[in-house]
Amino acid sequence: MNAFLQRLLRSPALAFVGLAVVWELYVHAFMPSPRYLPALSAIAQDAWSVWPQLLRGFGRTLLETVLGFVLGALFGCACGTVFTYSRWMERSVFPLFVVSQTVPVVAFGALIVIWFGNSLLAKVMTALFLTFFPVTVNTLRGLKSCDPQRIALMRSFGANRLVMFFKLAVPSALPQIMVGFRVAIGLSLIGSVVGEWFGETVGLGVMLMEAMNADQVVRLWVVMLACGLMGALLYGLLTFVERRLVWWRSES
Amino acid sequence: MVAQRKLMASPVVPVLLSLVVLLTVWEGAILLFKIPPFVLPSLGAIVRHAFTDTARLMGALSATLGEALGGYALGSALGLLLAVILLLAQPLERIVMPLAVAVNAVPTVAYAPLFLIWFGLGAASKVALVALAVGFTMLVSALHGLKQADQAAVDLMRSFGAGPLKIVWRLRLPVAMPSVVAALRIGVPRSMIVAIVGEMLGAYAGLGRMIYESTQQIDLLSVWSAVLVASLASMVFYGLLVWIDQKLVWWR
Amino acid sequence: MLELVNVWKRFGEAQAQTVAVSGVNLRIAKSEFVTLVGPSGCGKSTLFNMIAGLLPPDDDGALLFGGAPQRDGQLLGKVSFMPQRDLLFPWRTVLDNAILALEVEGVPRKEARDRARAMLPEFGLTGFADHYPHQLSGGMRQRVALMRTFLFERDLLLLDEPFGALDALTRSRMQHWLLDIWARHRRTVLFITHDIDEAIVLGDKVLVMTARPGTVKSETVIDLPRPRDPSIVLSPEFIGLKQRLLAEIEEESRKTFAQEGTAS
Repeated sequence: MNAFLQRLLRSPALAFVGLAVVWELYVHAFMPSPRYLPALSAIAQDAWSVWPQLLRGFGRTLLETVLGFVLGALFGCACGTVFTYSRWMERSVFPLFVVSQTVPVVAFGALIVIWFGNSLLAKVMTALFLTFFPVTVNTLRGLKSCDPQRIALMRSFGANRLVMFFKLAVPSALPQIMVGFRVAIGLSLIGSVVGEWFGETVGLGVMLMEAMNADQVVRLWVVMLACGLMGALLYGLLTFVERRLVWWRSES
Repeated sequence: MVAQRKLMASPVVPVLLSLVVLLTVWEGAILLFKIPPFVLPSLGAIVRHAFTDTARLMGALSATLGEALGGYALGSALGLLLAVILLLAQPLERIVMPLAVAVNAVPTVAYAPLFLIWFGLGAASKVALVALAVGFTMLVSALHGLKQADQAAVDLMRSFGAGPLKIVWRLRLPVAMPSVVAALRIGVPRSMIVAIVGEMLGAYAGLGRMIYESTQQIDLLSVWSAVLVASLASMVFYGLLVWIDQKLVWWR
Repeated sequence: MLELVNVWKRFGEAQAQTVAVSGVNLRIAKSEFVTLVGPSGCGKSTLFNMIAGLLPPDDDGALLFGGAPQRDGQLLGKVSFMPQRDLLFPWRTVLDNAILALEVEGVPRKEARDRARAMLPEFGLTGFADHYPHQLSGGMRQRVALMRTFLFERDLLLLDEPFGALDALTRSRMQHWLLDIWARHRRTVLFITHDIDEAIVLGDKVLVMTARPGTVKSETVIDLPRPRDPSIVLSPEFIGLKQRLLAEIEEESRKTFAQEGTAS
């Protein structure tokens, strides 16, 4: 009983519960303007009132985020691999990749709709633009950091470059690639939300925009918490995959 | 012969080559496929427009830069400070970190409407937004870096009678430098983009506002010029940081 | 079975050139256990890299394997090489690490795993087949690496200071255990060490290398009887051999220190 209580006291869940309690108490005690800090219970009530729309929006944004992430990750890994093995490609194309990240995709919202139509594809493209770069950088770094002594060992066994790639380079790069994935999934969510601001009818980003335009502060909080929940879900999923796939401690 | 080889090996040539290819493809595609300017204007037209519109662009740029730099400095400083505090007060870390992670799970853009309500449409809301985006990355990186110090080295300093603050100042901070600098580098493009996104949602001035207005007025050349200026400014900002990094952080 | 004729290895150009290995001539017969001693920096590892096929010797020398001269890279996959660090793959189990070379060779996984499992008791790793490297002690990791080296069935084994990182007690146990295994499998072994005792206890022949640029200073036949007991280090014959070799090595070590003193 003691050990269980100790674990409960130490778990992060307690911090959240504690925060929720403090929040409610503060609002009831000091009654700040609801424009600044609405009560948690008020937020819950509002969420319940638009439950179907919220659920649909959540699902839609989740779909865009995941698709954008998967495509961006695939593209990023491919680019990272090409850049690792072709110095020329790395030196000529990679700087362009770097520059591309200084361009605020947000600004192209309207243009992306013109190019890809008001569709899922447009939002996925926005997400993809933000995700491919961190994945490329981390894949490149991961593959390049492959231990040269292990490479020599494989060579002494008579391994060719393809064998070395799959048996050595890829597993040893996985921890670093996962780092890239973590950054990418957060950015993918941002890309989806922003993409929805331009001509969309369903989605958390849409609800955010609508709440802002209608000056509905409580609704804003609802959407923010929903976004936070999605973020936490996605990061949690990644952590789970990481623990199963890349559990070994990488040697420095 | 040697001179020719040296030219091929220089880092600039491949980039220039691919830039030239990119520009050629851009202009070529416009000509070949008769792409109308509202889909993709020619680079020449964009640059020309930028030159005629310089005053407005520079005004917008200075507003955005102010917000970006202000938020960047504020966020980085606070992030670093908080990391040191959390390191010195271990129990605090266990409470604060899960909350910080939760706050970060919400995409930065989702905070924009709330900050606009809290801090108004002026620069303050954008500075706060940038600070939030940059601060968390700095917190995580700095904390990780500060913890990298070898326990044996820490014990050694304690045996000399050094107090915790002195250990942080003389041992942990230098060891944390690479992580801190990495976070600083990531923060640069991000601060510009977050500032612009914030402005697009509501502002009195800045490149984001200019982009928003121009999109409304279907003045796409202005949109592209603003994007061009934003991108260039971001690159200069980043280059400046790299230069400072090389000159001041010489011991790496 | 292995012959080195006038093997040189130089690095760099013109004035900045360093000669790592100069004019090495040596011969190793089948099933011999030859140990190589020398001061640090004498080019032992460079020599090994050449024999493993990782570095080509300079044009004025030749490497003959089984009588046939070997060109650049031809030796890759022909010799079983164990470098100083165990270099186990942290994401693979003990069993899968052991079969790494076999996998590269193309042996089907199931067969390779069966062969490795059969060898586990001999290497003292029974029950550890599904453990991961980070769960093992240094000595055990070296044993896994050795098992990997032995599983790769090649006639020549190159062992580069495999016991260097172990404490003295573990090292002595590992030496005798290695001799046991060698007696059973009878492969040809070339073993680098900086420890004279180890060189004499293990070898049929001890080669002493000079300081840089490294060449073979002497070849001493160790005619101590096999199997060798741990107490052999106290026998008068052993001490006699050690005296002789110690003098030679001391001379070369002194030269190395002098070199390091005058070098920048």
